[in-house]
Amino acid sequence: MEKAIDVQNLHKAFGEQKAVQGVSFEVQPGEIFSLLGPNGAGKTTTISMLSCLLHPDEGDAFILGHSIRKDAMGVKSVLGVVPQEIAMYEDMSARENLTFWGKMYGLRGAALKTRVNEVLEVIGLTDRAKEFIKKYSGGMKRRVNIGIALLHKPKVIYMDEPTVGIDPQSRRSILDSVLKLKQEGTTVLYTTHYMEEAQELSDHIAIMDQGKMIASGTHAELVKIVGAMDRIRVTINSESAKVLETWKTVTGVTKVSAEDGTLTILADDSNRVLPRLFESAATRAVRITSVDIQEPNLESVFLHLTGRALRD
Amino acid sequence: MKVIDIAIKDMTRSFRSTFALIFMFGVPLLMTGMFYFMFGGAAKSDQGFSVPVTKVVVANLDTGGPGFEAASSAFPVGTKAHSLGDMILTTLKDKSFANLMEISVVDNAEAARAQVDGQKAGVALIIPADFSQRFSDLNGQATIELYQDPTLTIGPSIVRSILSQFMDSMSGARLAVSVVSKQTGSTDPAVIGQVVSQYMASIPTGDQSAALLDLHAPAASKPAANTVATIVSFIMAGMTIFYAFFTGTSTAQSIIREDEDGTLPRLFTTPTTQTTILGGKFLAVGLTVVVQMTVLLILGRLIFGIQWGSLLPLVLVTLSTVMAAATFGIFMMSLLKTSKQAGAVLGGVLTVTGMLGMIKIFTMGSGSSPAWADLASSFVPQGWAVRGLSQVMNSASLNEVLLSCAALLGMSVVFFLVGVLRFQKRFA
Repeated sequence: MEKAIDVQNLHKAFGEQKAVQGVSFEVQPGEIFSLLGPNGAGKTTTISMLSCLLHPDEGDAFILGHSIRKDAMGVKSVLGVVPQEIAMYEDMSARENLTFWGKMYGLRGAALKTRVNEVLEVIGLTDRAKEFIKKYSGGMKRRVNIGIALLHKPKVIYMDEPTVGIDPQSRRSILDSVLKLKQEGTTVLYTTHYMEEAQELSDHIAIMDQGKMIASGTHAELVKIVGAMDRIRVTINSESAKVLETWKTVTGVTKVSAEDGTLTILADDSNRVLPRLFESAATRAVRITSVDIQEPNLESVFLHLTGRALRD
Repeated sequence: MKVIDIAIKDMTRSFRSTFALIFMFGVPLLMTGMFYFMFGGAAKSDQGFSVPVTKVVVANLDTGGPGFEAASSAFPVGTKAHSLGDMILTTLKDKSFANLMEISVVDNAEAARAQVDGQKAGVALIIPADFSQRFSDLNGQATIELYQDPTLTIGPSIVRSILSQFMDSMSGARLAVSVVSKQTGSTDPAVIGQVVSQYMASIPTGDQSAALLDLHAPAASKPAANTVATIVSFIMAGMTIFYAFFTGTSTAQSIIREDEDGTLPRLFTTPTTQTTILGGKFLAVGLTVVVQMTVLLILGRLIFGIQWGSLLPLVLVTLSTVMAAATFGIFMMSLLKTSKQAGAVLGGVLTVTGMLGMIKIFTMGSGSSPAWADLASSFVPQGWAVRGLSQVMNSASLNEVLLSCAALLGMSVVFFLVGVLRFQKRFA
């Protein structure tokens, strides 16, 4: 079966900064594939190359068989792109926006009108279709932003961090719409720095950091990387620097990272490690105010692979 | 087809923007309107420059001179006068001054001054009892008191000017009396009165009073032309051109704004070629300026009564100006990267080039613009646009505007090529 997306050794640099370094992955038709990584990992640059907005310095990618280097128009015709920023005209209504973008995707006449109505229904804005976008809430704008990419019923959709900066209700609505797209057979390439989203949505996940793909596989496959290790989140009443280096040397601790007074520790066995952490803290006059022990997850994987928390 | 879709979308957005509409139509009309009303709405008609009617109250106390009497046949307005004061009063009351002065008469000087103090009159003219007597006395000095409202300038000046001219002509009579007296050695009032009458008879009769004051501008090549209306017309032409270039640049700025807002990159993710996208945006700039100029020319005609000239040369110059304004905007925006930079360009470059281009209009009052100014204006498209439109307004033929149009189109080609190449390189 033809791969929906086949990325082969993509490279992109901006001056001295290497934004993407040898990224390769494959996405099967009908899959949701997530690129997970912190800000600046190279996710958006990868998406931009796959959308034919940026020319790769090296490598190639094929979208339903169309090369991003040799057949940009072929790629664009089978592709829907939901950019990270809300990219539409705020001084036009939702209906006017959808109609305009539909025309850009080659829709005309009755087919365009019908499809605009369908998309308005899908994004739940039929009743407010005549209002200018500038009057919408952030969540509503995000929904229109997604709706534009659905107009021409693309077989492949890229979604670049579509849930950034919106309320939980709108976020849930967007995640549901992504799952619905999968049910309809659409291939989705989804970028996020929210571990929970990647975990919930994805058939396959690739973890990116500093322009490189550091791991990929299903959620279960990735979690296996950290084995049976526990992830312990410890909050202290002092600066984390006071205990960070010491705790890295505590027996049973594999990795430690710190963020805003909270330390995340990967440990073989939390029951054995925790008393040692308390003891170490006490000798430095640091009080532990809360402890949270979690089963291994994607954040543990990222911490294990990079030594940093996903949101660092 | 997508080119037109993009152009329509851009135009829709432009014409929905209150800010854009104000600068496209409101400001040029307002600026012209200010000059129009400053000159009393003179451009409305061909009646010439109008000034407010001045209320003049006259206290003619003149009792006449010894034997002084001017025959009606000798007197310009055909009225018998018993004193020089009578003659002045009759002259001021002449119908040819009716649109300048409204004359009323009182019995005494105090009443006249009181009317000015009470702002019932702008000027009080007090002719003393011995005015004719002193005038007749070859060694005497005849004076008239002109008592005026200090807040008025034009009205009292006109009254003073009329009086001065009248007295100048009367001085001729006095000179004649002086010569006769010296030659004959006679100071007989009867002789003096006869001399004055004969002198007055020698003054050409007819519409003499009209010669006392000429408010018309020096004769122009077209006598019917109204100077003030002409000034307002050229100001409107200048404003139309200045703001056409402003709109061209401002509309072209949407390319940069859309790039920053993310809608331009999103357009590039659709199956639409770069040429189509940029073509649509360029078309929007041109069409917006076409609409703006057309509306301003029509409103200029309807509101200010401006005669734009023959249709065909006007259309040619307008289209050439549109091309230049649109491509100038595209060219300017291709040199910039952010809308912040674009703001400075709109404020700075357009003002400087616009001012240079309109030097001819600014120097209209002085008759001719300096040679360096003419030269400088020819380096900016606004200069050629002003030149072309001025030619059309001065009844130039199609052939006569070809040079201006060719210069505008030549500049347009250069602006367009540079702009397109730079944008294509940027978005490649």
